Amino acid sequence: MRIEHKRARLVFHIRDLKLEWAIEPRYWRNPLLAVAGLALLPLVIMSKPDYLTLLTTANIYAAVAIPLAWQMAGIGRMNFGPQFFVGIGGFAAALLSIHLGWNPWQTLGIVILLGLAFGLILSPLTTIAKGLYFSLITLILPLIFLEFTYVYTDIFKGETGLSGIVPLVNLGRIRTNYLVSCYFSLGMTLLSLYIVDKVLRSRIGLYAAAINDDEEVAETCGLNINGWKILCFTITSMMIAVTGWFAAHYYGTFAGITYLQLPFMVKILLIVMIGGRGELYGSIVGAYFVAFLEQALTILGPVNYIVFPFVLLVMLSTLREGLYGLYRRHKYREYYPTMRVRKR
Amino acid sequence: MLLKIENLTKNFGGLVAVHEVSLSIEEGEIVGLIGPNGAGKTTLMNLISGYYKCNAGKIEFDGVDITGAKPHKICHLGLGRTFQIPRPFQDLTALANVGVGVLCGKHRPHMSYGDGLLDASHCLEFVGLFGKRNTLARDLTLYELRALELARALATTPKLIMIDEVMAGLNPGEASRAINLVRRMIEEYHITIFWIEHVMKVIMEATERVIVLHYGEKIASGPPREIVHDPKIIEAYLGEKIA
Amino acid sequence: MADTIQVILIYTFVLGSLYLLISLGFSVVCGVLRVFHMGYGVTFVVAVYCMWMLMKEFHFGLVPAVIGMFVIQTLFTLGIIYFPVVKRYIEQEELLLTSLILISLIVEEAANFFYPVTAGVNLPTTILPGAVKIGPASIPIQMLIASGVAILTTAVFVLFLLKTRRGLVIRAVSQDTESAELMGANVGRVYALAMVLSVIPPTICILIIAPVWSIEPSLGLPLMMTSILVAILGGLGNIRGSIMASYIVGFLSSAVAFSINPRMMGLATLITVFIVLIFRPEGIAKSESLW
Repeated sequence: MRIEHKRARLVFHIRDLKLEWAIEPRYWRNPLLAVAGLALLPLVIMSKPDYLTLLTTANIYAAVAIPLAWQMAGIGRMNFGPQFFVGIGGFAAALLSIHLGWNPWQTLGIVILLGLAFGLILSPLTTIAKGLYFSLITLILPLIFLEFTYVYTDIFKGETGLSGIVPLVNLGRIRTNYLVSCYFSLGMTLLSLYIVDKVLRSRIGLYAAAINDDEEVAETCGLNINGWKILCFTITSMMIAVTGWFAAHYYGTFAGITYLQLPFMVKILLIVMIGGRGELYGSIVGAYFVAFLEQALTILGPVNYIVFPFVLLVMLSTLREGLYGLYRRHKYREYYPTMRVRKR
Repeated sequence: MLLKIENLTKNFGGLVAVHEVSLSIEEGEIVGLIGPNGAGKTTLMNLISGYYKCNAGKIEFDGVDITGAKPHKICHLGLGRTFQIPRPFQDLTALANVGVGVLCGKHRPHMSYGDGLLDASHCLEFVGLFGKRNTLARDLTLYELRALELARALATTPKLIMIDEVMAGLNPGEASRAINLVRRMIEEYHITIFWIEHVMKVIMEATERVIVLHYGEKIASGPPREIVHDPKIIEAYLGEKIA
Repeated sequence: MADTIQVILIYTFVLGSLYLLISLGFSVVCGVLRVFHMGYGVTFVVAVYCMWMLMKEFHFGLVPAVIGMFVIQTLFTLGIIYFPVVKRYIEQEELLLTSLILISLIVEEAANFFYPVTAGVNLPTTILPGAVKIGPASIPIQMLIASGVAILTTAVFVLFLLKTRRGLVIRAVSQDTESAELMGANVGRVYALAMVLSVIPPTICILIIAPVWSIEPSLGLPLMMTSILVAILGGLGNIRGSIMASYIVGFLSSAVAFSINPRMMGLATLITVFIVLIFRPEGIAKSESLW
């Protein structure tokens, strides 16, 4: 392997592959500013633990929505059931932790393996099922899982959820616990953001765009669509399962009802669409917006359950490019994907 | 022998689209495929490029049997095609469109993503679309879309390109530009071309050999001069009375 | 053993007819407009709570309340669901589905806010009280009446589609929208008519079933899931397929409930539909149009 430095980019030569990594400061300036802002935020609101929980929740939502930005283009279909993998990650972490007493790092390994395994098992669906039917199948999958947890209530504690999961960090003082967990969630979100961003800016992102647009033509151009679809689905499912792992260990409880039903799916879908219509950085903006909105509206009392979907509906219909579009509208945007539910 | 087809048959339910067609194409040849509408020309092209699965017969490309192979494997072997109604990737720019062709074609050692896009811009410049490289494919005109199709097919470094009716719908100025483009392609890249076309002027001038399909069967094959004066062909196109 | 089979068959008939009535409207929308009407659950919620509101707050009698409720339903469907949402987003399906889900969430939460479960909402639409004993099973007469009404409603719908001119136009639009438009059909009006027609079966169903089943604001979602399952199994939008599929789903539910484990009813139906979606996604019926 050879590494050289040419014109503000590092070039890696591995056998006969050549990979580049740009290190121009102009390209990194805005993202670095945003990351610095996000990193300082927990310190500012450190005195109120509920705000820290709010930030962590927002980061969890963002961590689910970020791999979806790759998945929705990379498999060419809309996945209406990402919460299935959240459920898998969360239940695996919860069960292992409660019954075997494993600490979070041990369960992480198992969750990653399970995420990859289930992603691999379900990935033939992306090649067999046509657009609309794939969306329906993914819509039904979490419900099957939920019914499963109800039937085997003694293991999964369907109605009430599992509790007593080993917490993520335990440094003694509760305040430091919350702060460290918040930074941990931020780190997890930023790591997955970095990975997906690198992927989407490379040739794999171009392949995903080609698959989303017209699979058959891409295959005629020489792209192995089945292989890339399976790869995309498996890896993104693993990333979503890790989010479930984090949620289980952070909250200490994990109930299927919270995560596997329609309202959670709607929230994730809305984050993807309001944030930026499938745009990657929009996911973070959308996640923070939805989490803060949900919390802010609780001051209205019970009416907030009505106002919350209403506000989201208004935003969905007025903002064509989502919230992130307000930032990028005047900038040149290279790829504006159409999300396809039914192929025409 | 670059492409050899033996007794290729394709049925759609009860309709026989292609019936026991056999042909062969040598390296460096420019072969035209003509026939009235509905003769099965595009179906034949879809069968060769792997888009459809054939019901019977054998296709051999460059010594490798590609009957029933997946389209991307066929593309890696060196067979490219364009579509009669252009099918670009609508949401991508012209540069990205050809970039897909460059990066997905045969595996090229030491080509990074940036190098691939550079090569794509070379292809675009060759077809004359360099000025439109950052335009979305949905905003291009018909001639530019046809040129983009050619550029994308060229980007996969093929040995044989199958061109499907590149002249349809172009006005005379654009048509002559398109013919010049294909001629330059032949001269510079020395590619074998298998050309479906309706415009007889092009067939007469540009091709060395012509194959005629009628109702899915191959009825003649030979140099253009002979084909045009063959009574069977005239009957197929214009009917019995005129022949 | 014979007892269980008898019970299963009886409940297949009853449940199947009920599921048919529930999913008839969904199939009509799916067949004509070719969209997934994720706001279908709203129809049930609006029906129940509008009736309750008209009878409790405005002191309507039973019959005026029913008429008023139908009027409100039609206005709601056309004014809130069809024109602002479906018509605008019929090309962009992801926006359409999300907006419809949001509307159903808003309506459910509004119903929950004004009349939560503790408010004791009930509809006095019992036609004949009591239960009747058929073989080893004891079934409320209301449910038998509901099954009868289900079959009657489906028959009326099918006759309307087959014998009248409007029905012919609807069938044409469901097969090929562009050709129908070329023949002079006003597709927008046909869509609106289909949406209004789709409101009628669920309203009738929930009116008759209300005394026997529990009423809560979140009753829309399980009923909509049932209609989705029946629609998928029967071929999206095909009424013939929906009829067959509803009885199959009824059979599955009652067979699993009475011979294996009542808690597995939902799971069995879901797994069946999952398998059908993988191996034969077009469903039972072979055509893609309404009949």
